[in-house]
Order: sequence, then C-alpha cells, then structure tokens
Amino acid sequence: MSAPADSEIANVTPAPLAAALVKYSGLLLLSAIPLALFWNNPYWINILAYTYLFAALAAAWNIIGGFGGQFSLGHGVFFAIGAYAVARLYLDVGLTPWLGIFPAAALATAVALLISWPTFRLRGPFFAIATMAINEACFALANYSDRITGGPRGILIPFRAGFANMIFVERWKYALLMFAFMVIVVLITVWLRRARLGHYLMAVRADEDAASAAGINVLNVKLQGMALSAFLTGIGGGLFAMYVRVIDPPTLFTLPDIGVKFALITLIGGIGTIIGPVVGAILIVPLENFLRGWLGGEIPGGHLIVLGALLVAAALFLKRGVVGAFLAAARRFRRAR
Amino acid sequence: MEIFFNILLSGILLGGIYSLVSIGLNLIFGVVRIVNFAQGELVMLAMYATFFCFAKFGIGPYYAVFLVAPLMFVVGLAIQRIVLQPLQSEPMMQIFATFGLLILFENSVLAITRGEGYSLAGTYSRAVIDIFGLKASVSRLIVFLAATAIAIALTLFLQRTMAGKAIRAVIQDRHSARLMGINVSRTYLLTFALGSALAGVAGALLAPIYTLSPYIGGNFILAAFAVVVLGGLGSVPGAYVGGLAVGLMEAFAGYYVDPALKQAIWFIIFVVVLVLRPSGLMGQVGAEEVGLREQN
Repeated sequence: MSAPADSEIANVTPAPLAAALVKYSGLLLLSAIPLALFWNNPYWINILAYTYLFAALAAAWNIIGGFGGQFSLGHGVFFAIGAYAVARLYLDVGLTPWLGIFPAAALATAVALLISWPTFRLRGPFFAIATMAINEACFALANYSDRITGGPRGILIPFRAGFANMIFVERWKYALLMFAFMVIVVLITVWLRRARLGHYLMAVRADEDAASAAGINVLNVKLQGMALSAFLTGIGGGLFAMYVRVIDPPTLFTLPDIGVKFALITLIGGIGTIIGPVVGAILIVPLENFLRGWLGGEIPGGHLIVLGALLVAAALFLKRGVVGAFLAAARRFRRAR
Repeated sequence: MEIFFNILLSGILLGGIYSLVSIGLNLIFGVVRIVNFAQGELVMLAMYATFFCFAKFGIGPYYAVFLVAPLMFVVGLAIQRIVLQPLQSEPMMQIFATFGLLILFENSVLAITRGEGYSLAGTYSRAVIDIFGLKASVSRLIVFLAATAIAIALTLFLQRTMAGKAIRAVIQDRHSARLMGINVSRTYLLTFALGSALAGVAGALLAPIYTLSPYIGGNFILAAFAVVVLGGLGSVPGAYVGGLAVGLMEAFAGYYVDPALKQAIWFIIFVVVLVLRPSGLMGQVGAEEVGLREQN
C-alpha cells in the first residue's frame, strides 16, 4: 500500500502526551463555539449533533483506516450492532443507554474480531471489497431477522424524556452529548498516536512485510486496532439510536450514508491525522444538509450528484485532505522564509 | 426431479448473467488492479442507453448492443484517462474515486429519469423456449450464450493476439512488461475501455430482462465481486465458471433456504473462499497479496 497522508509527519516525534491533550482539547473547544451560539436553533442544533457524531465516528474509523491503513467499508456493521443492541437492551431489559452502550460496543467488538480474522488476510482493495460484502450481507440479515431488528419496519424507541433514558426535550443536550463523545474519541486517538499500538499500526500501514520482519505480529496489531475502532463505532451507533429513536436497516447500512461516509469524511479531512476527521465532518455534514435542502426538492438525488463529483475531485486534487494540504502549505511557507 | 432440473436451469441462466457482468470487472481488476466499484453503474448506464435507442429510434436491444458497446468503450477510455490514470499509484484514492463515480452516475440517472421505472420486458422477455421439456426464457438464454461466446473470444484474444499477450504480460509483472517495451499505461487504457465495453454488452442484453432503475447496478456489483473472488483475479475462465457457480448457489439456496438470504449466501461464499483459497479457484496463488502492493 502507498503510505497515505502524513508519512512525513509520522516520522516526526510527536509532542509529549500531556501537552498534546491540552492542545487538541483547545482545538476541539473551538468547534463548540457554534453550539454555544445556536443552542436554541433546532435546525442548526440537528446539523451540529450530526457533525459531532460523524466527526467521532470518522475519528474511530481513522484508527484502523487511517493509522492502520486498512480501508474498511464495513464499519456500518459495528455501527448498526451498537444501535440495535442499545435499543434492545433499553426496550427489553430496561437498561439505561448510559450503561447499555458498553455491552453493545463489546458485542460490536466481538463481531468485528470474528469477521476481521479471515478478512485481514487480504490486502488493500481486497480487504475493502470483503468488508463491503459483509456490510451488504448484514444489511440483508437485518432485514430478515424480524425478531431482533424489527426487520424492514425497524425499531421505534418511544419518547420518554429523562436523563436516565438518554432522551431529552432540549435538543441541545443531544448536541452536547455528541460533542463530548467526539472529544473522547479524538483524545483517544491523540493517546494512540503516541502509544506502542499506534506506532505498530503505522508500521503495518507503511509496509506489512517490513513490520513483520521487525518482529511485529501484524495480524495481532490489526486486530487490536480494529477492536478499538469497532468499540468506539458501536458506542456511536448506540448514541445515534437514542438520538433518532427510529432505526431501520436502510438508515444503518446504506453505504454512502454510513459505512463509506466515515471513510469519506476522514479522507476529505486528512487521513491518518488526528484532527482530519473533525475537519472533514465540519465540511461535509453541513454541506450535505445544505445541498439536500437546496436541491433535494427540485432534483431527486441532486445533493448526491454534487457529493459524488466532490468525491472524485477530492481524490484527484486533495489527496492528503484539507489538513494535509494545510500542513504542506505551512511547510512551504516556513521554508520560503 | 423436475423441480430440481428447473432450478438447475434457472441457476445456470442466472449464472450466465453474473458471468457476463463479471468478466469485464475481472479483466479490469486483474490488469489495471483497480477495484471498479462503478462497474455496476456502467451496466446500468448501458441499460438506459439501450432503452433510449429503443424508445427514440426503435432499435431493438439486440441491434443496439452494437452501438452501446462502442459507446461504453469511449466512456471507459474517458474514465481511465481522466480519473484513474492520475491515481495510478494511489489504490486508496482509486477506491474513493470509483465510489464517487458510482454515486455520481446513480444519482445523475435518478435526476434525469426522476425515478420513473422503464421496462422493455413487455416487448422482449415473453418468448419462451422448450429445452427437454423445461421452459427457458429466450432473453436469458441469449445472455448465457453471449457470456459463453465472450468468455471464449476473450480467452482467444488474450492467448493469441499481440495486444492480448501484452495484457497478460502486464498481469504477470508490470515492471518486466515495461522493460520488454510494452506501453503499460496504454495497456491499462485499452483494458479499462474493453472492460467498460463488456459492461455495455451486458447492459444491452440485460435491458429486456430487468426493470430499469438507477440503483440496479447494486444488484450486480456485489455478486460480481463474489464471482471475482471465487473465480480468481484476472482470470476470464475463472469469471465465467465463478459466475455459473454463484448463479447455481443462489438458485438452489433461494429454493431450499430463503430467497431473502441470497446476499448472505454470497457472503458465505466470500468467506469460505477467502479462508480456504484467497486466490480464487482459477487465479494465481498469491496474486491477491503480492499483486496489489507495488503500484509504481
């Protein structure tokens, strides 16, 4: 595989953990400014909640997709498992979602390990195809297994407001929840970038054979990265379920909306960078909402035409993402001085 | 017993459809080493082009194929030249770009047709032929025969002609091929265009069978990937045999298990093949690992 994004940055020794945590917390607080400004505006609050949630999910994808270089298109599966499990635990057992997200994420992790074990033999595009197939197979299974997922009708979580139920009358509380989730996930990636596992993952991305020759257990490292990524994605799915309160297979498994969206946001923002997923989400989620509102009524699929064209253009002209382009420009500026 | 033979026949005919769609994909996959997620959408575009030929000029699909295939050849040239060639050394970005093309094509057609479904079925797919007492739809039989003919012709082309030999040399080792004086990027261009033209043939011949929808590509692409994995990277006979195998499995599973689970069936095929023999039934052992790494 070609080393994506920041191969130059990856060689630089990162700043110490404590300093980096403070720096990135500060950066993330900037993204809370719109939340403070628009907390009472239902239209913007909805967009913000989605933006934070997808920033977190993209950051979770980035762990295995960016640092590990494993281009998974199957993260919708872990997302959906988290969503279904939290909903089922809440509705059937009465378990509060605050606790329900943990067994749900653990289940997502277990499934991730189970399907990753055979598919991690594959490299590059083959891995992408296999994970995409898994997503589609689970889509079919979710439609089929009526008793667990409610089949095509989906699951409806009744509106019973209350902190213990993670259901709020005030919409800004959801946005705040998603913001907190995003902060946690991004700070985990800050830690990972400096941890042994993070270095191993980047070594695997750069050259699997060399990593293996250097004594790294490649499969083990990939599985650990995937486990962490899937766990966080499962939590995100649970939060999503409690936010929208209606979950059915198309909302959880449609590739351009979920599984591929995580990758898309990360790539546009800057794959393999810490802040890239957040930047990508800030650009993509509001843009898509705006385009849907602007074109959706006039031209069916209009907003997706723009998004598809944007994807191709980004692949051609923005290979390192916005963050990569920014860093390259900064480097050139420094050299010119 | 008659039920068994009926399922067998419908499985083979379905397999013909999958073979026809997969051969082009596998050629591109094997040679250019690109996972063309938009291949199903190329088939879809060809189906709409065929319908357009019929609706506007009264050209039937079995004549239109001679217009649509060259048209898709040109479309393929354009995609490879404009989008994929600049990304030659970036496999991740290629996935990204072909997925973008998928979304772009699908929704452009949706916007143009406004989601209205078109169908040639009334005119063409009624005819039925009797084979040893079994009823077979003529249009599906034509697809099966076309897939067989294309598989043979393409194999001969790859074995006998200079251009075909160049393509095979690039499959084996692109660096050595370049040293032998083969123009690798022109071979890529030719191969991608050829794969698109085959999608054009598939689209024209499938137009009488399916109701047209912008999303129909999704029906083919996953099955086609299962076929490619099963048959082996870049192998034309592999794609043909793999297509038949997937068609048969789907037909039997549909009857004896549940038609709603066909995608789960493809997935099981995927995993079993991936675990037992990642290079596919007819692919070169190790190609799935070694072939995709160096992209210089």
